[in-house]
Amino acid sequence: MNKKVATKNTKTPNLYPKKTKIQVTIIFAVVLAMYLYSMNFTVSQTTGGFANSLSNMGNVIKEFFPPNLSILPIIWEPMATTIQMAVIATTVAALLTIPLSLLSARNITTIKPLYYITRISLNILRTIPDLVLAVIFVGLFGVGVFPGILALIIFSLGILAKLFGETVEAVDMDPLEAMRASGANVIQVIYYGLVPQVLPQFTSFVLYVFEINIRASVVLGLVGAGGIGLTLDRELNFYNYPNAMTIILLIFVVVIVIEYISTKIREALI
Amino acid sequence: MDKNVLPPKPKKSAFKKIKIIIITLAVIGIYVWTFLGIDINWARAIERVVNNFGNIVPKLFSPDWSAAGEVGEMILETIFIAFAGTLMASILAVPLGFLAAKNVTNNYIGTLGKWLLSANRSFPELILAILFIVAVGPNAFAGVLAIAIHSTGMLGKLYAEVIESIDMDIVEAMEASGANKVQILFFGVIPQVIPEFLSYAIYRFEIDIRASSVLGIVGAGGIGTMIIFASMNRNWNEMGLILLAIIVVVTIIDMISSRIRRKLV
Amino acid sequence: MIEFKNVGLVYPNGTEGLKNVNVKIEDGEFVVIVGLSGAGKSTFIRSINRLVTPTSGELLVDEENILTHKGKNLRALRTKVGMIFQNYNLVRRSNVLKNVLAGRLGHVGTFRSILNLYPKEDVALAYDNLKRVNIADKLYNRADELSGGQQQRVSIARVLTQQPKYILADEPVASLDPPTSHQVMTYLRKINKTDKITTIVNLHFIDMAMEYADRIIGMRAGEVVFDGPVSEVTDATFEEIYGRTIREDDLRGGADQ
Repeated sequence: MNKKVATKNTKTPNLYPKKTKIQVTIIFAVVLAMYLYSMNFTVSQTTGGFANSLSNMGNVIKEFFPPNLSILPIIWEPMATTIQMAVIATTVAALLTIPLSLLSARNITTIKPLYYITRISLNILRTIPDLVLAVIFVGLFGVGVFPGILALIIFSLGILAKLFGETVEAVDMDPLEAMRASGANVIQVIYYGLVPQVLPQFTSFVLYVFEINIRASVVLGLVGAGGIGLTLDRELNFYNYPNAMTIILLIFVVVIVIEYISTKIREALI
Repeated sequence: MDKNVLPPKPKKSAFKKIKIIIITLAVIGIYVWTFLGIDINWARAIERVVNNFGNIVPKLFSPDWSAAGEVGEMILETIFIAFAGTLMASILAVPLGFLAAKNVTNNYIGTLGKWLLSANRSFPELILAILFIVAVGPNAFAGVLAIAIHSTGMLGKLYAEVIESIDMDIVEAMEASGANKVQILFFGVIPQVIPEFLSYAIYRFEIDIRASSVLGIVGAGGIGTMIIFASMNRNWNEMGLILLAIIVVVTIIDMISSRIRRKLV
Repeated sequence: MIEFKNVGLVYPNGTEGLKNVNVKIEDGEFVVIVGLSGAGKSTFIRSINRLVTPTSGELLVDEENILTHKGKNLRALRTKVGMIFQNYNLVRRSNVLKNVLAGRLGHVGTFRSILNLYPKEDVALAYDNLKRVNIADKLYNRADELSGGQQQRVSIARVLTQQPKYILADEPVASLDPPTSHQVMTYLRKINKTDKITTIVNLHFIDMAMEYADRIIGMRAGEVVFDGPVSEVTDATFEEIYGRTIREDDLRGGADQ
């Protein structure tokens, strides 16, 4: 039967249908055109263009070396503040996330409007970058660690509530039904049926958000919201590149160490 | 009822007990250190917020539409930065991803490659942007480079994981039919990984849009430039508009991106 | 005593779960409901503890119409009516004792239960019930370490710890192999006889229904098509309930294994 078809159709078939080919070509052309335009647009702002920029980079990098390690004791304090900000923000966000994620889980919040309102406000919250929140809070509360912590809390709340809400939606509902059938009230059902199922994931997500918060809090100081970023900003403004390099290296080491520990713990949890 | 007394709980091993004690102490230690170390000036924060609240919050919700033209331009620049940076990264990450994949190279090079890639992503974009600004001047191109380098690290690692998860049976079948390495790469490996590569790159674009919207805070172009000026001039009506613009653009791009990604995989 | 008076149930999508059901179950009876899947067995059972709510008629449990129960009343009803599920419905990550104690949730206050402050008698009761179903040695094991039959026994212990007046069992053996199925049914039967707990079981295996039931109720398309003592049941009765001839897979088998 196949032979018949093959002999009838003398033209060799294309490897891909024509429509797919045209589609791919158009998409490719659009992406490329937009890329060329973007590059042209951004490069045009530089003095001397692309090649000049790259050669300039070599010279500048030399200025950053060798880093001035003698300032390490001085910069340790703002670094510690940075970590402390992340600890507090993560803790508060983790506590606030519990009611929020239950409200944003379809299987727990059966009141539809409540579920949709929570979902939509969390989605909007997640679109605002942490630094923008920090800028606004600095305007509200003045320069210091407090606006930074607040920005981190709000920012990580969006991520955490979404991740956790999805976990809650994926739990096995059977035990919860059994609890309800034995006369347990809502709080008991959640505590006995839900909590044991989601606790490991919850811990893991909190640690993950802590990693994100560490990376975010490092730069918050650039807008006056406390921590090491402020110190970095100052050194750069004074063209003190070796000092700046030390700060950058310290940030790098701290971020890597914390990420490593946190990843190991998370692997052990799940 | 006496006979119903519970049997003793099975004893936990000494190792486990010590582990639990150490973890508990570490957590308590971190919190003590944090709360002793952090210094929040509550009185000043409260005083400031009482004075400023009426000046700032209502204005955020009544955007200054006269700045719409400039905001639009800057948002466009933000998108350009993110687009150029992501595309550059998504291409640079391909060879790096292959180098870091254990089934393509070997175990040692693979592990080393992944280490380098994750070290790379530990530099926050803004720090990279600061470095590039020093090199190429305070403009959008510095932002493109910062996004590109940071995203290369992230994408390279994800690409390597995709390559490691491919079906090696197909590769074996091609080897058996006499194909050479390059042929295997193009006909056996790439078709398997392309959809996921694309999906990750598009997802990265979502993240980079958010990142590039704050690059201007350090002078690397995009809408962030306006954010920093609006806050310095205490022009909160304009800030309201900027915020609205970011929310709308990010939401739209997220929606388009997730629709495309759903089609791809 | 449980009494269905002209009970009907229409699901929101329009399917009729129950049609004009009139059944009276006396205290201490062991009733087995048989019928094909989708015949309304599950809806029938779940109406009694209001996991589903009939849309018409009256359902009396101990002379009280339960269809209007809400909040506190509803929880009191559910405390009185225990339930066993096809998939055991244990919290897989919690240990056996904690799962069994969950049966006391309706009796213990919210605050006490959340702090794990169960009265001593409750813990003793839970342990005693685990002994009754011969699984006391697994007390501190996590539920997901147990086999299906063991998990179902734990869920029986949970229901006993609830000290219910009625036990509902929704396809309790559908996920088990023949020997374990008989073991579970034997426990249910024994509990029914010694504790005088009225027991209503959904089964689709004809031979098991015949072996363990006092009384059989047959359902088809939401209606009760047969109701009578086991002695009146013949193969013809089942053929009428099922609306077709009896097949191999309607039997569990393995009674003497």
